[in-house]
Amino acid sequence: MSRNNIWAHLSIALVLVLIAAFAGGLRKWHRRPRLVQNNPAVWQKDREPTAETEYEQNQRLDRKSEVLVRFRSGTTLEAITRITSQFNDQVEDRIESVEGLDVIEDEDGASADDVVAQYRALPEVEYAEANITITLDHDESGSKHVHANDEMFSRQWGLFNSGENDGKAGADISAMRAWAVTTGSDQVVVAVIDSGVDYSHPDLANNIWTRPQIIKAYQDDDLTSKGAIDDVVDDVHGFNFVDDNDDPMDDNGHGTHCAGIIGAEGDNGLGIAGVNWNVKIMPLRFMDANGTGTTKDAIEAINYVIDRKRAGVNVRIISASWGSTAKSRALEDVIRKAFEEDILFVAAAGNSSSNNDQTSHYPSSYNLGNIVSVAALNRNDQLASFSNYGAKSVHIGAPGQEILSTWLEHGFTEKQGTSMATPFVSGVAALILAENPKMSVNDLRARLLKSVDVLPSLKGKVSSGGRINAAKAVGAE
Amino acid sequence: MSSSQQDIIDRARRDLAQRLGSSETGIDLELAEQADFPDAALGAPIEDEMSAQVITPGWRIRLKANGKAYEYRASTRQLRLFNFNGENYKI
Repeated sequence: MSRNNIWAHLSIALVLVLIAAFAGGLRKWHRRPRLVQNNPAVWQKDREPTAETEYEQNQRLDRKSEVLVRFRSGTTLEAITRITSQFNDQVEDRIESVEGLDVIEDEDGASADDVVAQYRALPEVEYAEANITITLDHDESGSKHVHANDEMFSRQWGLFNSGENDGKAGADISAMRAWAVTTGSDQVVVAVIDSGVDYSHPDLANNIWTRPQIIKAYQDDDLTSKGAIDDVVDDVHGFNFVDDNDDPMDDNGHGTHCAGIIGAEGDNGLGIAGVNWNVKIMPLRFMDANGTGTTKDAIEAINYVIDRKRAGVNVRIISASWGSTAKSRALEDVIRKAFEEDILFVAAAGNSSSNNDQTSHYPSSYNLGNIVSVAALNRNDQLASFSNYGAKSVHIGAPGQEILSTWLEHGFTEKQGTSMATPFVSGVAALILAENPKMSVNDLRARLLKSVDVLPSLKGKVSSGGRINAAKAVGAE
Repeated sequence: MSSSQQDIIDRARRDLAQRLGSSETGIDLELAEQADFPDAALGAPIEDEMSAQVITPGWRIRLKANGKAYEYRASTRQLRLFNFNGENYKI
């Protein structure tokens, strides 16, 4: 790309950022990818704990500080030119839509903070601020990727496997390359039907679904027959089918763990990053403190998702990290109804080291067009020793051993199981929908299964023959 | 063995004695070992029960009465009897 093209792109980006800012649209700007900033201090903070490579260091040194300066009304072009020359700076661009607003580039290697301070000291200047540039890094192969600054990110081998702890470098879902395309959308709702979710967890709270005012509260005629005073429940953050109330708080931890894999807030300097930095988790509790629940409550939870979808909630994915070998026609029927509502159903294949083609595991083994059955992999791209498999009935592999995620009491812990592999796939499905909101469930499922890295270890074990790849799924490679 | 594990064994022994209609003194501990179970139901789901598909650490306890072995499975949260006359039980 030529220098002229670079500045043309920068100008366009800047105008868009300013328009968004004035429209109040930068509410969550800080949560978007910001690998590189002109403020070296912030840049260093963002990069922790990953060590800066020589390549990255050169990239940083090559950058020049840019600031956005708005001169007071009446300041002439000649005066601006005189000021910038005095500081050995250049006016790189003029934002015509905002009188007096210029993009100024420092030419002598000063930090953005210093440049901002210089301009702020001038009486002609209304304000000056560093140009926070959203840019992308490249790995050694030249592919774009985005880091997360979450403090435990280096332990999340499922997202980025550096080969540590006897792992295999690259045996991950290629999350960082996917994040160069999208880090998710708060318009995508993922129902986590599980033991509930600790919706107050600091790494989850911002990504928990809240029922919009425009959506009517949940109504279920059966509630009064179960002893409730009213058949309407104020389902602010989902529903609790164990106790039939509006509080889906988790008292087991399993649901909180799965929710974190899908959508722990990313790049917030805290804890972990979810596959989605930005998404809406709908917590639905049907399993108790033991981590078990009834088929009936599972069915009611799926029914709730369908009801909310029909009411206007954009809930397109159910993540189901549970199961049994007992077949239920009723459970199969309600999942089919979800299929008719364009809802993907991602299910754990089970942990009995058995072949689901011979011994079925439900709901993952129902032969429905919206089900994705997920096997678990270890950090070496091998099928986990406990994982079920099935050349026909299990569809895809995902990281499922030594998986770090959110836990009770605002903590974090490692767990293993196809339970953990399942939300990786749900999370990638949510990334796809963030980029392709209108994609049908058939196309979504097909995209997931076509986007795998084919692995020799999964030949004859899962129908796609591979491990999910988020980057391929969102078209990043 | 920690007291909590001993408590679990005592509970299992009492449960088995009740089921068999026999005295606890006639029930011997054959095995108590740590084990990883395939799910939150400790691989011993009861009818109509769904469970979290997470590897769940716990203990496998084998008791013997009248020459026959009975397997209990325990975690910090629960105790189950596995495959007793073809059925699983939550204790």
